[in-house]
Amino acid sequence: MTELAVISGGLREPSSTRLLAERLEASVRKELGTLDIAAGSSFVELRPLGHPIIDAMITGFAAPALEEAFETVAEADGVIAVTPAFNASFSGLFKSFFDVLPEETLSDMPVLIGATGGTERHSLVLEHALRPMFSYLHAIVSPRGVYAATEDFGAPAQEGSALGRRITAAAADYARLVQGCGSHQRRDAFTEELTSMEQLLGGSDGESRR
Amino acid sequence: MTDMQWGIFTVGDVTRDPTTGRTPSEAERIQDTVTIARKVEEVGLDVFATGEHHNPPFVPSSPTTLLGHIAALTERIILSTSTTLITTNDPVKIAEDFSVLQHLSAGRTDVMLGRGNTGPVYPWFGQDIRQALPLSVEHYGLLRRLWREEVVDWEGKLRSPLQGFTLAPRPLDGVPPFVWHASIRTPEVAELAAYYGDGFFANHIFWPSSHTQKMVELYRRRFAHYGHGTPTEAIVGLGGQVFMRRNSQDAVDEFRPYFDNAPVYGHGPSLEEFTSMTPLTVGSPAQVIEKTLGFRDYVGDYQRQLFLIDHAGLPLKTVLEQLDLLGEEVVPVLRKEFAIGRPAGVPAAPTHQSLLRARAASEAATPDATPTEGLTKQ
Ligand SMILES: Cc1cc2nc3c(=O)[nH]c(=O)nc-3n(C[C@H](O)[C@H](O)[C@H](O)COP(=O)(O)O)c2cc1C
Repeated sequence: MTELAVISGGLREPSSTRLLAERLEASVRKELGTLDIAAGSSFVELRPLGHPIIDAMITGFAAPALEEAFETVAEADGVIAVTPAFNASFSGLFKSFFDVLPEETLSDMPVLIGATGGTERHSLVLEHALRPMFSYLHAIVSPRGVYAATEDFGAPAQEGSALGRRITAAAADYARLVQGCGSHQRRDAFTEELTSMEQLLGGSDGESRR
Repeated sequence: MTDMQWGIFTVGDVTRDPTTGRTPSEAERIQDTVTIARKVEEVGLDVFATGEHHNPPFVPSSPTTLLGHIAALTERIILSTSTTLITTNDPVKIAEDFSVLQHLSAGRTDVMLGRGNTGPVYPWFGQDIRQALPLSVEHYGLLRRLWREEVVDWEGKLRSPLQGFTLAPRPLDGVPPFVWHASIRTPEVAELAAYYGDGFFANHIFWPSSHTQKMVELYRRRFAHYGHGTPTEAIVGLGGQVFMRRNSQDAVDEFRPYFDNAPVYGHGPSLEEFTSMTPLTVGSPAQVIEKTLGFRDYVGDYQRQLFLIDHAGLPLKTVLEQLDLLGEEVVPVLRKEFAIGRPAGVPAAPTHQSLLRARAASEAATPDATPTEGLTKQ
C-alpha cells in the first residue's frame, strides 16, 4: 500500500487550500489506480498545529499532536503539500511546519506542490518559494505543481475545467513519480549518528577501554 | 553514602527576576552560587554541579575555580560539573584542573563531559564547531590517557602531539575522577559513555521523557555490548527540575511568572503543558516525590539525580527554601523509596572511595597487575 501524506496550510474555514489539497489527493489516487497502485492517505491540517509549531520552535521539541503529524509525514511514501499564498510566498505557518519537521524527513520523498491565492498573478509562488524549499530539503519535487486562484474556484469544478485539467495533468506526473520512487525508505538520523560514532570510536587509537 | 546520589545542578544564569524587575550583579550571582552549594551540604544532599558557559548572561566560565573554593567551604558533598566542554577545552588543561581539584577536595570530585552547543564558543577557544564530534572523541581519548598513564606519547589530528608528557599532579591515589557523559538527545554521547564504560547523564529537563528513555536504553544496551557488564550495571544519572511549596497551588502561582519568562522555554507552552510533557514538577513535596519515583519506570534503577532549582531569576531566598524542602521532606523519602525493590545487581553511585575499592579488588584478582591503572601499556 502506498501511503500519501497531504499537508494543508489553509487558515480559513472552509479553506480553499484544503479544497485544492483534497482534489489533488483524489486525482493522485485515481492516477495511481490506473497504474495498479493502491494508495491510502492521511491529512495533516496545519491550522490546529499552529500553537504546537511555534512552541516547538521555542522549546526544541514537539508536543504529542505535532509529533503525530511528523510521524504521518515520515511514514509516507509521498507528500502532497499545499499552502495559501501570503505576501507572494508560502504562508509563515506552512514554512514553520517544515522548519520544525525533523531533518531528513523529506529526503528522497516525492512531493507534489500546490498553492491557492487571491490573484492568479502570484502563481509563480510554486516555482519561486515552494520548489526551492523542497529541493533544499532533498525532496523529489514533481515537475508540475498546481496553483488555484479565487477565480479558478469560481469556475465549475468539473473535469473539463481549466483547474480540473491542471490537477489531472499534475496528478498523472506525480503518480508516475511515486511509482518510480517505490516505497519510501525512512531515514533514521538516530541510527545514522550512532553508526558514525561507532566508526569514529573504532578508528581511535586502540587504547584499552576498561 | 547511599546507593543513589542526590543533588542539584546550576546553569549559572544571571536572569532578571520578572516579579521585581531586579537583575543580580555577576558578583552577587557568584556569591549566591557558593551559598547554594554550602546549603546543599547543610541540608544533607550529596552533589553540587555547575555548568560551564563562556558568554553573558552566565557566570561559570571557570568551574574548577568555583568548585575549588566550594571544596574549601564544605566537607562532604561531591563537586561536579554540568558540563565541562570536552570540545573547546584542551584535554591537558582539563586533566590538570581536575587533578588539582581532586587533591584539594580529598577525592570529592567527578566530572561530567559535554559537547556544548553554543556555536560561537568554538572559535573563542581556537576550535571549529564542525569538528565537534571528532573533537569529543579525540580529546576524551587523550584525557583518559593523561589520567591513566605516567608518560604519554600521543599524536592526533586536532591537537599538537605530546611527547613524554607527564600530568602533574597525578590523580589523587592514582585514581582518575569518575566521568559522566551528558547529553540531551545525541546518541553519539551515549555511545561514547558506553564504549568506555563511563557514566551517562541524561539532561532530561526541558525535553519529553521519551527522549531520555531512548537515550538511556541505548546507553545501557551499548554498555553491555562493549563488555562492561549487564545493562542494569551501567551508571545512569538524570536531571530534573522542581519548584515546591507546601501547598501545590501556591507553588504554581509563585513559579508561573518565572516559568513564563524563563530563558530556554519561556513564552512558549503553558506551565501546565510543559509540566505534562517534561519532567518539570511544580507543586507540593509529595508531588515531587511521586513524579521523581516515576523516573525509574522508564530509565531503570539509576545512580544520580540532580535537580535544577536556581534559574530563571528565582531569588536566593527562594532557592534556599527549595533546598530546605528537598533536604527535609523530599530526598529522605526518595532515598527510602528508591532503596525498596532496587535489584541487587544495580551498582551504587561511584565515589572516589568506591573506585579505590574496585581497583584494590581487581589488583587482588590479578596479582601481577601493574601497581596503578595509570601504567596500562599501549
Ligand atoms: C496575510 C495574507 C497575505 C496574502 N497574500 C497574498 C498574496 O500575496 N497573493 C495572493 O494571491 N493571495 C494572497 N492572500 C490570499 C490568500 O492566499 C487566499 O485567500 C488563500 O486562498 C486562502 O487560503 P485558505 O482559504 O485555505 O485559508 C493573502 C492572504 C492573507 C491572509
